[in-house]
Amino acid sequence: MSAPTLALAEVQQRKVIVRLADPAVAAAYISVAFGLLLVFFPVWFPRMIVRNWWNGRLTIAMVVFTLLFDSAIYIRVAHLLSAKLEILAPACLGSLPIMIVVGLSSLLQSAISLTLSGYLPNIEARISEEIVTHTYFALVSAVFLPFVVIRLLEQFKTTKSKR
Amino acid sequence: MGTAANLIALHWASFQWLLWISLYLILGIFVPWLITRAWVQQHGSDLQPRLKELFQHGELGLVGLVLAISGIWDLLRSQCMPHTRALGSILLAVSGIMAGAVWIESYCRRSTGTRFNPERAWRDSRSLAFLVFSMAAVIEILLDRFAKVAVQ
Repeated sequence: MSAPTLALAEVQQRKVIVRLADPAVAAAYISVAFGLLLVFFPVWFPRMIVRNWWNGRLTIAMVVFTLLFDSAIYIRVAHLLSAKLEILAPACLGSLPIMIVVGLSSLLQSAISLTLSGYLPNIEARISEEIVTHTYFALVSAVFLPFVVIRLLEQFKTTKSKR
Repeated sequence: MGTAANLIALHWASFQWLLWISLYLILGIFVPWLITRAWVQQHGSDLQPRLKELFQHGELGLVGLVLAISGIWDLLRSQCMPHTRALGSILLAVSGIMAGAVWIESYCRRSTGTRFNPERAWRDSRSLAFLVFSMAAVIEILLDRFAKVAVQ
């Protein structure tokens, strides 16, 4: 085989290695956008989140958003590295954001139940703030944590293959 | 007079997060850079200190870890539900540990003579510190809002 052919084959066989810097920057931009919306629209933005959470649309919207966002990050990295897509990462990216958003939604429901049973003052506003806070945590977790899992699995695989 | 003082106190409480951000940016990033400049001037060196060179060994990762600890501490002292405190703390801790790991990895690579790329260490530590910083800032904003609601 000629040298250019070998080099081409090597490029084609290169795997996507996601560095945490890429999803970290994406999650940071989401954080900044969330923070700016909270500062400049302190009433409208939280109210919109709370209304959509009560009518059940927020969880679905977040699942769709995080799935698309995570896929976009992964495909961008693969494109930049001219690397082939692996099965492990897309499997993680297809399932983990859904599990995280749905899991944290259940956690929020139990937090609300606990708030309601506490006989605390200004309970409606407290619940609204809990919903906004959980929405933010779920959004950042669903974008960043799947890549942390992928990174750890990749490192585990590399360590295993070295043995 | 009393109402005006209350109003000022309320507005001040609403912008505490801004003070928090400024403190970290000034003391964590700007002051080290300023000290470097002062040293250069004092010793008459022609070194041109840049942030990238100052933090090229992934030191921003350590700054990120310290930031995460501060955010977790504030979160744990808040009046949010235990679920929220736990979730936020875990998320900040994971991000902080990942940021700190960049600095540790960079140290290990340099110490053992393993291939080390300062450009990559700078990029990774900067991105992860930016994530921790933005998360901690939003958490401070959310905690300020929650504190106002709890007081009412």
